[in-house]
Amino acid sequence: MTVTSPPAAALHAPPGTAAPPPRRRRLGYERRRAAWLMLTPALIHLTWWIGVPVLATFVLAFTHYDVLAGTISWVGLDNFTEIFADETWNLSILHTVVYTFFTVPVAMAIAVVIAVLLNTKLRARAWYRAAFFLPHITATVAIALVWMWMFEPNVGLFNAVLSMAGLNGPAWLSDPDYAMAAVIVVSVWKGIGLKMLIYLAALQSIPPETYEAADLDGASAPRRFWSITLPLLKPATFFVFVVSMIDAFQVFDQVYVLTPDGGPANATTVMTFEIYKTAFSEFRISTACAQSLVLFAFLLVLTVISRRMTGKDDDAR
Amino acid sequence: MRGKASKTLLHLVLGAGAVIMIVPFVWMIISSLKSHAEISAYPPVLWPTEWVWSNYPNAMSFAPFGTYFRNSLLIAVGHTVINLALATMAGYALARVPFRGRTVIFMAILATMMIPTYTKIVPQYLIAKGMPFFGGNDYLGRGGYGWLDSWWVLIIPGALTPFAIFMFRQFYLSLPTELEEAARIDGMGEFAIFGKVMTPLVKPAIATVALITFENSWNNFLWPLIVTTRDDLRVIQVGLAAFQQVEKTEWAYLMAGSTLATVPMIVLFLFTQRYFVQGFATAGIK
Repeated sequence: MTVTSPPAAALHAPPGTAAPPPRRRRLGYERRRAAWLMLTPALIHLTWWIGVPVLATFVLAFTHYDVLAGTISWVGLDNFTEIFADETWNLSILHTVVYTFFTVPVAMAIAVVIAVLLNTKLRARAWYRAAFFLPHITATVAIALVWMWMFEPNVGLFNAVLSMAGLNGPAWLSDPDYAMAAVIVVSVWKGIGLKMLIYLAALQSIPPETYEAADLDGASAPRRFWSITLPLLKPATFFVFVVSMIDAFQVFDQVYVLTPDGGPANATTVMTFEIYKTAFSEFRISTACAQSLVLFAFLLVLTVISRRMTGKDDDAR
Repeated sequence: MRGKASKTLLHLVLGAGAVIMIVPFVWMIISSLKSHAEISAYPPVLWPTEWVWSNYPNAMSFAPFGTYFRNSLLIAVGHTVINLALATMAGYALARVPFRGRTVIFMAILATMMIPTYTKIVPQYLIAKGMPFFGGNDYLGRGGYGWLDSWWVLIIPGALTPFAIFMFRQFYLSLPTELEEAARIDGMGEFAIFGKVMTPLVKPAIATVALITFENSWNNFLWPLIVTTRDDLRVIQVGLAAFQQVEKTEWAYLMAGSTLATVPMIVLFLFTQRYFVQGFATAGIK
């Protein structure tokens, strides 16, 4: 295995260029060989489980692939005309957009306020941070079940609290008018932690001197927040925004658990749920791939827009 | 004086927020210990008069939560070990050894990091199903179930994350070259330098990547949902969801199951907060 033939390029090196001493050249070869050996398992894995599947999604979306018969034929854009003729799919796009539109800004607004409040010398600061971050690290499925129990219309915690205030709570998850709102509440609650953490990290890079002038002028805390902190957090805000949008467009777990089968009267069916249903309960593989490409297009556009908006900020980091 | 008042206000606001975040967890644990009568009582009983610990063994006899728990644990540990092994090696090679094509490979890995789950999951399923020679398949991967409903499919596809490679590359990149050169003069080979000199220096990265990998694996739902149907191969998240769809009203047992599915992560998090926070902040800001 260890035949150390010098690289071909070195043999044909033009005269006059000082070739490195043999020992170093051999060392370089051995290092490169070691590097490739270390990389190979990872490269095989990524190619096999990410590279090939991504290409396959693009190919399958333009074919008709019959899983049972094992036949495949080219159909051009037929899958796309088919899915956009499907009302449920179009509805799921709308729901995904609505879900994202409410979840992301609300969670971001809460997160930035919490982060600013936490970015002070405070006793029990780590405990507060842990409390806000806890929902992020616990399993969505398990925690969605807990919310389901709290949303229970008859003996659930929510409607009990509402009735104390003299209100008659709705049936939440089984009411088409409230199901999506309930899902959004859970997602906001779960989404605050990560956004807060990213904001906190960004806040810690703002030097305290920045506020000195404002302190001398006697600016109030809200004023400082609006005029100094928020503008300085712009790059972080864009970053959080994009990551959260991409995340929100792919929401699945809580929707699947809280409102099975797309919810009451399809009130909460989202793009990912439609893809799941098409691929894994109806086994219409090609249709599902076309649907995932539509989702991919949304995410791509969001990413590109964000790149444009953040511009150089992103490279600087 | 003004400072003290604002501190109190701060504690009040943050405290109220923290309580809202914690309430579902507390309610989950309380509900898991309520008797049948108290869990269906209206208005809800805030503090049970009797604590029914037998809900846990009872829930476990309703559905094999013990098996689910063990499966999740095995898979999460498997993912963590494999991810650490492969990603440290790849990250080291990308960071410390100059070779042709290194930049291209690194860019490609960055690209795989940005691929959304749904752009790859359908073919991933087909690849698993068409794995030759497994599950009754012939050499072309036809005729059987391949890797579906097996430990292979639960462990292998999710065992390496591009994010881990990226993290390790960044950490190895930040190490000084002197150590490496000294080791090389001592006649150490590249693998020895990797294993004995450099990797012990990236312990914080190892802790962070291990925790995030474990957490993602433990909480993963979609992949195990689509590739397993056998009850004895279910992970706890899938088992819970399935249990809910069958026993819609057994709330005490459901909350016991949810507690089993969340408490390990909560405990792990509280003890290792530092690494988690570091990891997510790094992942967030790059």
